[in-house]
Amino acid sequence: MKLVLPVVVLFALSGCGEEHTTLGGDPERGQLLLRQYGCSSCHHIPGVAGARGNVGPPLAGVARRAYLGGVLPNTPENMARWIRGPQRFDPRTPMPDMQVTEPHARDMVAYLYRER
Amino acid sequence: MRTLIVLLEIAIGALVAGAAFIFMGLYDVSATQQHLAPTFHLLQTGLRQSVKHHSSDIAVPPLDDPALIARGLAHFRSHCVQCHGAPGIAPQPFALGLRPQPANLVHSAREWSPAELFWTVKHGIKMTGMPAWRFRMMDDDIWSVVAFLRTLPTYTPEQYRTLEARAHEHRHAPPAGAPDPERGKLALTQYACTTCHAIPGVVGPDAPVGPPLENIGTREFISGGLANTPQNMVRWLRAPQAVNPLTAMPDLGVSEHDAADIAAYLETLK
Repeated sequence: MKLVLPVVVLFALSGCGEEHTTLGGDPERGQLLLRQYGCSSCHHIPGVAGARGNVGPPLAGVARRAYLGGVLPNTPENMARWIRGPQRFDPRTPMPDMQVTEPHARDMVAYLYRER
Repeated sequence: MRTLIVLLEIAIGALVAGAAFIFMGLYDVSATQQHLAPTFHLLQTGLRQSVKHHSSDIAVPPLDDPALIARGLAHFRSHCVQCHGAPGIAPQPFALGLRPQPANLVHSAREWSPAELFWTVKHGIKMTGMPAWRFRMMDDDIWSVVAFLRTLPTYTPEQYRTLEARAHEHRHAPPAGAPDPERGKLALTQYACTTCHAIPGVVGPDAPVGPPLENIGTREFISGGLANTPQNMVRWLRAPQAVNPLTAMPDLGVSEHDAADIAAYLETLK
């Protein structure tokens, strides 16, 4: 029992020097890109300035969400695919194809997966 | 002063021990582990007293009409036997693993008053597996079940089987009123909405299976490009897969009336 607290503290600290990011993307750049691609005009995204849109669902805690767009099982890989071409997965979705490049999609996923 | 400090220490000690018991996961929540006898009897007594208290003001209608009893039997066969069994008939296998075990209703019918039975069927009992039927049955259908339950202890197993074979179910459609957001808020908990959505104002697991419903009242789209209007929300709630065949949201059998009330509540989330 004595060990529990130090171990918890260690775990919390070890997160600070985290090298591995989701899909190897750059979360800081992802945060910027989410604005550059206009995501913020439709979605509320924590940490992204001006992202108060309420056209689509809010993206707070989206890493834990079970489905993307209500249709696609949520994994980092699927999220990158969804961002790059949502209408491939749901032809009726109002979310447009924003011509996001593969590396940019990885960066966005890295950011959205970091913000749990 | 000294006694006060000792009492305070005991109180803090009890709180810490209680917190440790909960947060270290020492309590065994498994359904294979029965409660200790004192806990079991305490819970039983609490349940019994709560039902008595909450049903004390219910006016009981006449329950002797054979047509009413026959209607009740049909509901009983469709919705009660699976967990509770009937004279000479065992519950379904899944129900045998429930804890607490669903009551034998011959016993309940002998011991519980009609008002108590009505209240229990209508509102269900938290943490027991007994569901509330309020959003699935009209009050007079629930009374028909109570009318039938009163006769249950009088049948031999053979008589029960004969009666059951002849039963026909008649369902009453609930009448629609003006959309009522407060009722809609309650209905949200009765169609399992909170098992997939975080909904402001409604306590639940907040499991993010679908999107959170904060600000849903001002959201532009519902799903699959369906514009967010009250009529469309009712359409979506009643048959999501008819709106978007790809959606993971299932058809929960929401009635027109309940969907209108739920939509009215969701509209208030801005």
